[in-house]
Amino acid sequence: MDQDQAFLPPGLAGEEYRAHVRAWLAAHVPAGFLADQADHQAPDLDACRAWEAAMHRGGLAGITWPQAYGGHGLTLREHLIANQEIGRLALPESVNSLGKELAGPIILAIGSEEQKRRYLPPLLEMREIWCQGFSEPNAGSDLAGLRTRATRDGSVWRVNGRKIWTSGAPNAQRCLLLARTGPIEDRHRGLALFAMRMDAPGVTVRPLRQMDGREHFAEVFIDDVVIEADDALGAPDQGWSAAVRVLAIERATNRMYRAWRFENELHHLVRACRLDATLAALIESGTYHRRLAETVVDIDIIKAYVEPVVERLMAGESIGDRGSLMKLHWSEAHQRFAALALELLEQAPPGAAPEVQAARARFQRLYLAARAETIYAGTTEIQLGIIGDRILGLPRERARGGR
Amino acid sequence: MSATMEHRDGIAAFAETARQAVASCAAKPVRDRASQLAGDGLLGILAPESAGGLDLGLDFAVPVMEAAGAGLLGFPLAETLLLGAAFGATPFGPAIVLGERVATIAWAGRVRTASGRVSGTVGRAPLADQADLLLVATETGAVLVARDAPGVTLQPAIGLDLEAPEHEVVLDAVAPLATLDAARFATLREDALLLRAAEIGGSAQRCLALALEHVSTREQFGRTLVSFQALRHALARQKLAVEHIGAALERHAALAASGAGEARHAARTAYAAATRFGIAAIESALQLHGGMGFTWEVDVHRHLRRARTAEAQGDAAGLHRRLAQDLLTANA
Repeated sequence: MDQDQAFLPPGLAGEEYRAHVRAWLAAHVPAGFLADQADHQAPDLDACRAWEAAMHRGGLAGITWPQAYGGHGLTLREHLIANQEIGRLALPESVNSLGKELAGPIILAIGSEEQKRRYLPPLLEMREIWCQGFSEPNAGSDLAGLRTRATRDGSVWRVNGRKIWTSGAPNAQRCLLLARTGPIEDRHRGLALFAMRMDAPGVTVRPLRQMDGREHFAEVFIDDVVIEADDALGAPDQGWSAAVRVLAIERATNRMYRAWRFENELHHLVRACRLDATLAALIESGTYHRRLAETVVDIDIIKAYVEPVVERLMAGESIGDRGSLMKLHWSEAHQRFAALALELLEQAPPGAAPEVQAARARFQRLYLAARAETIYAGTTEIQLGIIGDRILGLPRERARGGR
Repeated sequence: MSATMEHRDGIAAFAETARQAVASCAAKPVRDRASQLAGDGLLGILAPESAGGLDLGLDFAVPVMEAAGAGLLGFPLAETLLLGAAFGATPFGPAIVLGERVATIAWAGRVRTASGRVSGTVGRAPLADQADLLLVATETGAVLVARDAPGVTLQPAIGLDLEAPEHEVVLDAVAPLATLDAARFATLREDALLLRAAEIGGSAQRCLALALEHVSTREQFGRTLVSFQALRHALARQKLAVEHIGAALERHAALAASGAGEARHAARTAYAAATRFGIAAIESALQLHGGMGFTWEVDVHRHLRRARTAEAQGDAAGLHRRLAQDLLTANA
């Protein structure tokens, strides 16, 4: 990589930082990376790793993390700015998002000093990709029912169990593993977090083919895997509660670029339609005006949830369960949009221009991938439950009269 | 940041005053409501100080409009706030702000001008039968006319809203009292969108509260209704709608406070969000009331009528067409 990629001018904040991000991206985005251009080629894993490592050196990743651990020591305000600029270009999704947005923040919150120095720099430099080992075949939405067991064996932990829907597992070097140290009746108590090495003997990854054809998530079999004591995160019975606190904030701060990426997609759709006489006539006709306008409104609502999060967190206010409102909205709005884009572009006549075909390919992928968005990170039904139980505070009354 | 938070505190101070004022208006005739609201300092929020107003930004009127929506205020409040500001430099401004004259706006149609007099039919004028002053659109902006001026004829109210029934007004060579140029009238119409978004938001909040109360007290199958997941999820979606509107209104406030040019667009999308999600939430709240929801006594239908009227007065359908057109133009 160029030397200038290793350079983030010190002391940049706010709009000065935005100018740096824009200039840096204009100079460094590799050819073919932009999803709204006809020459787009989805980059492979190595290209993504190199790119994300470069972004980190350029000051576009690890933005709020302390400099002692490889971060840039800036504020959430700059985090939002970087996300807006990255979103506008619809740059590839991170191949280490679970490291940057889940494992990293949890390590920062509950890890020891030694753990922070050991895990965080390789994560930002993309030498270690993380996956998330939470869900199990019988513990998905009901995570408290998980059965993977960690038993103390002298100075180490010995772990047995099975994880599923583990995104990124085939590429990961580390797994943020949630395992049970107490009896299953303890539900949420007695759960501990570990930083498990994916190359440890006894770890077997079986990729699952997704409905969009990719193999991004996997089953992870854990057979008598030894985890060193210094790879345990937080106290055995407190890891989970600490993680939950971090997760509530993360749900509101992760992938903050969504609204701007979504906007890139909407504008790409319109431009692609205008390149084709048939599609141009369709979007001009008025038939699609309502749904296009509703998409504009949906995107503004995502922004309306995201933008104040920064100021609130920086002022020390709590975000509470607002992340559930946001998640429910963007996932459903994005699915509505994906269906609209697909419906429009599938009306393209045979022999349409390459730009139109490229858009078709993008939005076919997007439509399929969007089916996962109302399932992962807490299904729509789980989010509705959270809003009812925790935001509205609805009583959880069961049957009366002893039934 | 601190500016935003001070702003929020300042705005919150209006909310409680507005709730109480709206509640005490309920049993009063329309003209006394004007005195009540003026006495509580609520009619001059947007008007210049020279007209007895507070000269505050649009976002300070948001909690007042929310309270008006929640409390089913039967008064042309948005119209009064906007006209007090628009005519603040004329003698009509202080009269409106002090509640001495009731003013309203015909939101649909426009009149022709000939020899300095206006003629034509306009509509969607809430409480025109109780008003002294009426703003009507012309080819070049808008004019203020006296409701009792020669040539002004009111048609009986027709429309859904029961709190501030809409009238059509026929004007035949009516002499205007004052004029508003096209740019200022356009701004007034844009500002009205944000006020309506707040009003619909207030109605949706209130209907959610009513639905919550109903399902928390009524029992079927030996359980209170709120224990059924289908109903809990419906309530969660109503809450989501209320939060969408609140977030969109806050976003407008933040953009307006920082002087961002996007504020006007944000007002449009806040209104579009309110008509789409707010009305769906009110309809859902009605559904959760079961048979009670279809009765005259339960207020949810009143909110629904009002919100649907606000949707028509702001031309939500036309706004969606314009938002789509803007998107197409931006990607030409």
